[in-house]
Amino acid sequence: MDIILAATDLGHAPHVVLVCYLLILLGLGIVGYLRGKATEEDYYLAGRGQGLLVTSLTIMATFFSGVALLGFPGMVYQHGVSAMFLALNLPVAGAAVYLLGNGIRKLGKARGYVSPGDMIAGYYGGSMIRIVAAVLGILYVLPYIIIQIKAGGLLAQTLFGEDMYNTGAVALSAVTLVYVLVGGMRSVAWTDVLQGLLLLSGAVLAGIAVIASMGGPGEFFAKVAQLDPKQLTMHDPAESKWNPWWILTFCLFGSLASIVQPAQWMRFYAARSSKILRRSAVIFAVVLPACFLFGIMLVGLGGRALHPPMDPSLPLNAANLPEGLKKADQIAVFMLREELPVMLGGLGIVLVSIIMVAIMAASMSTADSNLHALGGVITRDIYDQKNPNASQKERAWVGRIVIIVTTLLALLIVYLGENSEFGEGLLKTIGQFFFAAMAFSCQLVPVAVDMLYIRRGTRAGAIAGMITGGAVVLVTLFLTGTNTIDTIKRVIDMGGLALAFNVLVFILVSLFTRKPDPEHIAAFKRDLS
Amino acid sequence: MPGERSRKPTAIILSAIFLFALVMGAGPGSLLIAPPGSEPPLWFGMPALYLWAVLWFFVEAAVVIIAACTLWQKEED
Repeated sequence: MDIILAATDLGHAPHVVLVCYLLILLGLGIVGYLRGKATEEDYYLAGRGQGLLVTSLTIMATFFSGVALLGFPGMVYQHGVSAMFLALNLPVAGAAVYLLGNGIRKLGKARGYVSPGDMIAGYYGGSMIRIVAAVLGILYVLPYIIIQIKAGGLLAQTLFGEDMYNTGAVALSAVTLVYVLVGGMRSVAWTDVLQGLLLLSGAVLAGIAVIASMGGPGEFFAKVAQLDPKQLTMHDPAESKWNPWWILTFCLFGSLASIVQPAQWMRFYAARSSKILRRSAVIFAVVLPACFLFGIMLVGLGGRALHPPMDPSLPLNAANLPEGLKKADQIAVFMLREELPVMLGGLGIVLVSIIMVAIMAASMSTADSNLHALGGVITRDIYDQKNPNASQKERAWVGRIVIIVTTLLALLIVYLGENSEFGEGLLKTIGQFFFAAMAFSCQLVPVAVDMLYIRRGTRAGAIAGMITGGAVVLVTLFLTGTNTIDTIKRVIDMGGLALAFNVLVFILVSLFTRKPDPEHIAAFKRDLS
Repeated sequence: MPGERSRKPTAIILSAIFLFALVMGAGPGSLLIAPPGSEPPLWFGMPALYLWAVLWFFVEAAVVIIAACTLWQKEED
């Protein structure tokens, strides 16, 4: 997610907007601290009492990282309308917010669960399954934290100058760390409200601004209609993954993966009632895709029409892109910085600054949620198992220490990534894991569905399925270059492929191993009703 | 339970419509509109493939809204 340094001088507007934004975040963190209690449940789940506004926006803000406002227009710029079909995964995720989330909420409330591992181990029994679920969760959470901190550095470069990378990464981490540490879930969720509103308004505003700058919807679509036909048709599976088969499997499995990842799972525990999750599901399924389909994704399409690459048949690197645009995922920033100040003068500069801060907000909301969830997972699924008599206060502090250590480690990796060869390689590997993160968390879907709806799986089956799924992700991640593997990866989403193996092994092993006690299953069913 | 039985046909119909929308929109149904290598059609001056995505988004969103107002609400009651 490298970001350009555009020529347009934005003056002090970005400084003012950013300082106001960071001060509000710190204020919300402090209020969250003052309203909180010194218990583990309050620190991780805000007392299980979150209302509609907080629940719906924290779920949306956690779902999308900085990739939402940079990556999506970049994908549309690069691959055309076919990439816009990714937005159809959002109603699937919205439905899952209720269909999976509500059962998770009910069981969490009835049985005092805090982490996903609590529920999985509570149903299947044993500590091994808890560790496997925790590892899959951590493989999702860690790369997300590191990449979001890196995005903070890159945004600071865009707004304030080339030498501001380290300062930006440190500032994003420090502010996030403060409000996560002091207020826990309450502060994280309240700041997510602001960040979620910024993300949604930034997505819509960017689309409106670009369409207006191109002369209105009629002119916009007239220019888009003249694009290379490849931009306006689906792609061939033999050439690219932007074909209906890959997109369909991504929409089915990518969405579910992002809904069962640890931070979202804990948000379901924290919701006050079924009604709140039902309404949050509708808001998610309707508002979020609308902001993408009618907003930020159109920026990529307009960008392609106004600033096409020199040779569309060649890779879109800096040499093949218009001057000032180094990578396709810079197109939104490039367009907005070029068009808005010219079109709207001072107001345009303020709007650009707000959209830039919205991109930072998207990164921060993902970083804070994942940091907070990581604290919960490591405390509940690892520390508590070794120290079952630890007090509530002690557990909350262990989580805080995990959050501090992880943030410092992530900062170190981001710093080394920019300043040393070893760090660059390490960051590149983490970047690969970032793209596989959803595929790892997707492996929690079969156990979630089994616990909530089917209840025929066994502990051995669940463990074998999750390990198989995780192994398939690793194999497909690093095995490239052979025709067969590359073809499979172009036709099926990596998470979906691993999930198929997971489900198969889960069913087969469950057929031949001991099921949980029927009374135990009946008690679970009662808590779900 | 009688309530559960009466909800089942609605649940099946809504699930079927939702899956159909996914297959027609994000899935191979999009090949009916603009397959690879074809001359992309325009509807109302806009790329047909874009309007196709918007159409199936509306169907998916409508299914979620109907499910929330009927099935899920009854479940809570």
